[in-house]
Amino acid sequence: MKIILKRLFSRRKEEYWWMTIAVPLVSILFALITGVIFIKITGRNPIRAYELLFGSSGLFPGPYWKNHFAEMLLSSSMFISTGLAFAIAAKAGLFSIGAEGQFIVGGIVAAYFGYAKPFAGLPAILHLIIVFIMAMTAGGIWGAIAGWLKAKKGIHEVITTIMLNWIALYLIEDWLVTGPMKANVATGVSGTPYISATAKLPKILPGTRLNISFIIIAAAVFFTWYFLYRTTIGFEIRAMGHTLVFGMEAPKASGVNIDRRIIQTMFISGAAASLGGSFIILGILFQYPPVFEGGYGFDGIAVALIGQNEPIGILLAGILIGALRTGATAVQLAHIPKTFPSIIEGLIVAFIALQELVRYLIIKLVVPKRSESG
Amino acid sequence: MKALEVKNIIKRFPGVLANDNINLSINKSEIYSIVGENGAGKSTLMKIIYGLYTPTSGEIYVFGKKVKINSSNDAIKLKIGMVHQEFMLIPRFSVTENIVLGHEPRKGMFFDRKVAVKEIKEISDRYGLKVDPLEKVENLPVGIQQRVEILKILRRGAEILIFDEPTAVLTPEEAEDLFKTLSFLRDSGKTIIFISHKLKEVMTISDRIAVLRRGELQGVVYKEKTNEKELARMMVGRDVVLEIPEALVKRGDTITSVRNLTVKNKRGIVGLKDVSFDVHSGEILGIAGVEGNGQSELIDALIGFIKPIGGSIFLSGKKVKLINPRNMRKRGMAYIPEDRKRRGLILPFKIKDNVIMGQHNKRPFSRNGILNDMAIESFAEKKVEEFDIRPRDIYTKAANLSGGTQQKVLLARELSINHNFILASQPTRGLDIGAMEFVYKMLIEEKKRGVAVLLVSLELSEIMGLADRILVLYEGVIIGETKPGETSEEELGLMMLGLKKKERVM
Ligand SMILES: Nc1ncnc2c1ncn2[C@@H]1O[C@H](COP(=O)(O)OP(=O)(O)O)[C@@H](O)[C@H]1O
Ligand SMILES: [Mg+2]
Repeated sequence: MKIILKRLFSRRKEEYWWMTIAVPLVSILFALITGVIFIKITGRNPIRAYELLFGSSGLFPGPYWKNHFAEMLLSSSMFISTGLAFAIAAKAGLFSIGAEGQFIVGGIVAAYFGYAKPFAGLPAILHLIIVFIMAMTAGGIWGAIAGWLKAKKGIHEVITTIMLNWIALYLIEDWLVTGPMKANVATGVSGTPYISATAKLPKILPGTRLNISFIIIAAAVFFTWYFLYRTTIGFEIRAMGHTLVFGMEAPKASGVNIDRRIIQTMFISGAAASLGGSFIILGILFQYPPVFEGGYGFDGIAVALIGQNEPIGILLAGILIGALRTGATAVQLAHIPKTFPSIIEGLIVAFIALQELVRYLIIKLVVPKRSESG
Repeated sequence: MKALEVKNIIKRFPGVLANDNINLSINKSEIYSIVGENGAGKSTLMKIIYGLYTPTSGEIYVFGKKVKINSSNDAIKLKIGMVHQEFMLIPRFSVTENIVLGHEPRKGMFFDRKVAVKEIKEISDRYGLKVDPLEKVENLPVGIQQRVEILKILRRGAEILIFDEPTAVLTPEEAEDLFKTLSFLRDSGKTIIFISHKLKEVMTISDRIAVLRRGELQGVVYKEKTNEKELARMMVGRDVVLEIPEALVKRGDTITSVRNLTVKNKRGIVGLKDVSFDVHSGEILGIAGVEGNGQSELIDALIGFIKPIGGSIFLSGKKVKLINPRNMRKRGMAYIPEDRKRRGLILPFKIKDNVIMGQHNKRPFSRNGILNDMAIESFAEKKVEEFDIRPRDIYTKAANLSGGTQQKVLLARELSINHNFILASQPTRGLDIGAMEFVYKMLIEEKKRGVAVLLVSLELSEIMGLADRILVLYEGVIIGETKPGETSEEELGLMMLGLKKKERVM
């Protein structure tokens, strides 16, 4: 017990370790305050707006809380999945913006194995497991392609992931969904056929849509933490990320197989993003629609930034963004467009991007007080 | 008149007392040097004066007035300027743009380039610091870039100029130029604070010298009244003899061989041509040469960063088929790079993580790919003790260690890897005498253990003192082979310049 306590605290001995937590919190606060100013300037009532926003966000008890809460966790799961995808790559020093593509690749594959014949007859648990393995493998490969191009051909991952996003989109929307995977016209369904009942994610809160996706993603958060901080591959990946500006020479000189790690990292990152795609198909839409309203990949970047690329941070940031989106519709009652929460999200990211300024302000405010009292 | 006084300055970092009650009083127009081993607290003190760190306690007086310096902006307002070790210049900008950045002369709303250029010409003439105002900084050698930095702080009206180890990045000729500049600035009324751990330099240019050791001020002496030996004793706390003890070891079997190695460097130039040699067990083979004569190509090929275009490398008696760092390591190579921050350590990693890098995937540090913290920590605790790494705190990040301590962490790591061959590339670069002594001691011990050592160094005294045999590289070929007992520094110097050859018998 003593050893555990010593470990917990002695590791935190760096000066200003609490900044990692303070910076996002203060950024969120600044964003909310800026939001007040915006609403005020446009002549509406900021208090009413925030009341509506948070009252129906699912974060706090209130009318219809159960439903809001369920919706919040449902959408959080998706944001956390793409947030993890970005962060895993970022830890290795890779700037992957491919979560968008990996997300929909995961989705279409989940849809296929959800309705396709030989699988649709299997028992529920087995069917779900197969669907997830297939979707994650596909999303992983989609990521690994970018990793391979980076490792072997030296093409920057920003370029390849963007291109892979478009390739995925056109492959799915212009070919699969309207071609080989099109539902039988006679059933009157557009998009792919509906998945079988055995592939639907089991619900866990009666009377709501909440399903096990949040449990799965919470496990994924833990797995990501464990992978990054407790395994030798995670150790190497972090070493690579830390030495990015030096061409990763130090880990390379120590014998780390950089090329292989890049490909593996991108695979895992892609698999993480494909989880979100599977959730939306297996838990919300039950088919791949003809036109898919995406954007989760890009929200994932915001989530990762707010969560400081740390798994726990991403879990919390994902819940926050999920809550803001859930409360979005309600703010219209205060005559504010429902895109307002996205503005808040953007502001948070902007303040995080101004890290140095926020840090400076926090130190100005907090540190003199500390040295006087201590 | 006093330009700068610091009184009772204390700065405490978690686990380290970096400055322990420092009192200094620096006169106007003097060159005041501060020497001390790596980690003595010199940079910390300067960063306090320049407003980058706030002291735990203590007072600062500038030109007699008590001041609080909370940021570098405050320092600049008080006419204090600092030339950092890493320059803060923008490579793609011109000299003029870099100097005026942030304080540009304007015409209406726009940047007035003509006035700026004229202004730069003026100050550069006034202080004898020649630069071409229109040249892009990226095209300038390091010495001139440093000049640009100096001009930048002069233009902002600095009266007190801090130089933190300015010569570390310079060639000897550039350092000479810098010393001339410093004397000139002093004579025109500026106050100079000069940080170094090279005693020779300090003895050339200072008026007074303050010595720091482990955060404490050991004393302040006038240059005329002291000598290198006394300074070294104050710095290290005991007599230092940098004489390298002779270690007679019977040379054993060949461990490493290089045959007809030809290497093309990243710029596509053949930098190493047809080089062959053997390194034996219990032997230190020195590679001497002026920088840029094939050393980096040799090292990069040996560690596996570059595939040679010809020739072969044998480690532990076997030819290495696929040359990459992993295979070289597997066959028993330890590597001490010249740039420990770039190629050696993972700076944001803690000491405990750095000492296992490279062995992290072996037992007991991990099992089936899962790290074992207990084993890692007890190993790190042991190494911290064994290599006298200060602070003793294995959770300190490598970035927060001084250069000498970083080198110790690196040695602790490399020497605990299973090895029979050490590739040491300028292993004492940037180290103070105390740390140098330590590195020499370790290398000699390794040699006694029967390890083969290849020592690539630009320091003749180091090669002459440590090596059993010396090969001289000149323009990518081995121009001669000799032994320390059979040659002199002069002769080696001539060989290094390609003016003298010596036949090799292989
Ligand atoms: N930001 C920091 N956090 C923790 N320890 C530090 C930090 N900066 C310096 N130190 C420690 O303070 C001591 C003095 O360091 P420094 O002033 O850089 O020495 P010098 O410049 O004389 O080589 C060293 O032990 C170093 O590890
Ligand atoms: Mg220093």
